[in-house]
Amino acid sequence: MTQEQFMLGNEAIALGLLEAGCQVLTSYPGTPSSEILPETVKLVQAHRLETYAQWSTNEKVALDNAFAAAVAGKRAACCMKQVGLNVAADSLLSAAYIGIMGALVIISCDDPGPHSSQTEQDTRLMARLAKVPVLDPANPQEAREMARLAMQLSERYQVPVILRPGIRVCHARQNIGFGALKSVPQKASFGKDPARWAATPKFRLELHGRLNEKLDQISAHFDTLAHHNFHTLAPGRSYPLGIIAGGVPYAVVRDLLDEQKRSDVPVLKLGAPYPFPRKLADSFTAACDKVVVLEETDTLIEYLLGEREKTLGRLSGHVPRQGELVPEVIGAGLNKAFESAGLPPLTQQQDPQVQALTAGLDLAVRRPTLCPGCPHRASFYALRKGRAKTIFTSDIGCYTLGINLGGVDTCLDMGAAITMASGFYHAFAQDQVHQPIIATLGDSTFYHSGTAGLLDAVYNGARFVLVILDNEITAMTGMQPTPGLGLRADGSRGKPIPLERVVKGCGVDYLEVVDPYDIKAMQKSVKKAVAYTQTPDGGIAVIIARHPCVIAYRDRAIAVKRKVTVTEDCVACGHCRDRFECPALGIDEQSGRTGIDRQICADCGLCIQVCPKKAIVEVEQA
Amino acid sequence: MMENMNIIVSGLGGQGILFMTKILAHAALSQGCDILGAETHGMAQRGGSVISHLRIGRHQGTLIRAGSAGLLLSLDENECYRNLAFAAPGARLFVNLDRQLRPAVDAYLKDKAMTWHSAPATAIARQINAPFSTNLALMGFFAAFDNDLFGADRLRHVIDQLSPERFRQVNFKVFDAGLAYGNQLKP
Repeated sequence: MTQEQFMLGNEAIALGLLEAGCQVLTSYPGTPSSEILPETVKLVQAHRLETYAQWSTNEKVALDNAFAAAVAGKRAACCMKQVGLNVAADSLLSAAYIGIMGALVIISCDDPGPHSSQTEQDTRLMARLAKVPVLDPANPQEAREMARLAMQLSERYQVPVILRPGIRVCHARQNIGFGALKSVPQKASFGKDPARWAATPKFRLELHGRLNEKLDQISAHFDTLAHHNFHTLAPGRSYPLGIIAGGVPYAVVRDLLDEQKRSDVPVLKLGAPYPFPRKLADSFTAACDKVVVLEETDTLIEYLLGEREKTLGRLSGHVPRQGELVPEVIGAGLNKAFESAGLPPLTQQQDPQVQALTAGLDLAVRRPTLCPGCPHRASFYALRKGRAKTIFTSDIGCYTLGINLGGVDTCLDMGAAITMASGFYHAFAQDQVHQPIIATLGDSTFYHSGTAGLLDAVYNGARFVLVILDNEITAMTGMQPTPGLGLRADGSRGKPIPLERVVKGCGVDYLEVVDPYDIKAMQKSVKKAVAYTQTPDGGIAVIIARHPCVIAYRDRAIAVKRKVTVTEDCVACGHCRDRFECPALGIDEQSGRTGIDRQICADCGLCIQVCPKKAIVEVEQA
Repeated sequence: MMENMNIIVSGLGGQGILFMTKILAHAALSQGCDILGAETHGMAQRGGSVISHLRIGRHQGTLIRAGSAGLLLSLDENECYRNLAFAAPGARLFVNLDRQLRPAVDAYLKDKAMTWHSAPATAIARQINAPFSTNLALMGFFAAFDNDLFGADRLRHVIDQLSPERFRQVNFKVFDAGLAYGNQLKP
């Protein structure tokens, strides 16, 4: 029976994986990839499949696990966000040489913009670096087809294959129909072959040669990948300009040309850009005086084309070198190229007046902020107060928003709160300066990348306070469980591994657990911890600030609801709004005092502890 | 069969933009239309601006180009203004608003032959003791003016299908209150 759904791109990818018989799926959550694994689990449960899915502690762990399954002959997949592939790069580059027996699909989701990432890096360049094929879908339906294709290619050529959907595919929706799903009978087996599975450098050279041969074969395969790699040249005709596009920009280009009926400009779509389909690309460029390349997020096709004189794109200044290629940017880029080629421009639909109009309205910018009732807000308030000279290293998660409370000075990558704290310590200690340093990172980030840095910091005698903000969930990416919770991807119970045990296991002697909802207690505990880092035989002090996430565990997070009001004692000093920065605290237009936005107030009552005039009080219960 | 149509739904994180989009999408889907949408997730959802693109008809790309949306629904006044660039000439706008539009915007809309309708959707929802259902109040209000593309009956049917059991009745109540408010404004 076929059913049709308005499906999220990540759900379509999950569907494609299962249609291709994916038996093992591993992942670490990260926007925009986070929904692929949960959607897979839902389909697996609904269709009673045998597919095994797990949240791994980080992306490298996830890829190694999926790789082993593929070595054992299974059809495996592994998904992550693009910067997660950096964490897994060590594994990826080696796995490309070794190859697999079953199938291994790596889904790495890119974030042009960036909307929710540290960089705009292009996974296709990582595929080129690792020498593995990469597929670049334009919309959810193509992502689903490409998930299946990736599995087939991987099985056929025994090489990992990367599927690279952009955020506009992952978080797009499309109506998609599908039928019943079936499990694949392939059983695990391992044929010992140390020359391959444990190859030494001598054998690696040989494997590299074999990988290059595979890439030549796949490149020829990609020349004729009709549905995903094709052009719209009319036979025998030549053109002043052709467009080469892949992924999301292809979809935008296609719509734009169709809407404006511009069949005078041919398009080469490269949904499978690497290994480069040389013959197909050459036949296209031969028919065009110039070509303009539209690809996200960097320059892969533009580099691989190699026709410097003919090519317009990022390198020639026709396309911006950073930022998302939204339809307006593509329209402007195309018009520059059309002008260079002497073609009439596309009609711009954007009204030039409107920008001046909205600019003139002086609309307040809505910056993202921690949720009302978020325990991190209380933690940052307690940490920050009276510590203007402290360096606050932080990390990747909701709590990066502690920047709004002045509690985040650095954010580099997963785990860098600890490693940068250690680096700062040694840099200042070298000059005999006692620089106070407080590092903050979340529970999930600590499990992901915290331990190696903490071991290093303890071993090398760094001194700083590490606050692990433990909200018992991976919140930013949509509430995935952590090893501390012990809940597994399919909802079953796993073995919980408490943070305390991990911290102690890293050699830390000073550990305190505190509930940040008690701001005074938290402040006291931080003061003590800072003092410990300064005593002669002190070292690293770890505080676990433990309070459940207010979104994931509403009832437990705010066990006692405290409805607050503002009394006449309020002097409108702004301390609560500026320093505590709760979005439910605003200015009451009538009185000029602080006002409470009832609609979003979580009734946590934390602001009662914050007001210097004690003007925020609990409403007497009638 | 509906014609090709681009719809922008905007507001703030937590207002239920995605649910609104889903209702419209399913209403279109029930008529056999192809649909594409684009949503905001992650960092932007933490109280920031949220915008959802919905495209009905044969398209490849998920994002709506500036100047090409025929319908804009907004749960927040400022977010409505912020996304004005998406509106096509002659577009229809439905806004959650309990006062006059800013004069500059009013003049602009008139100049571009756009029509707009505003309703105090938050107040309507609050009256029914459902302050978190502003989205459904605006949806009902919109339904009063839109018989050809969606229509109140079709939207109500979709809300019935998509609402979790415990919210179904209150969702209907808020939707109907919005619809009644709209009907009473109609000429």
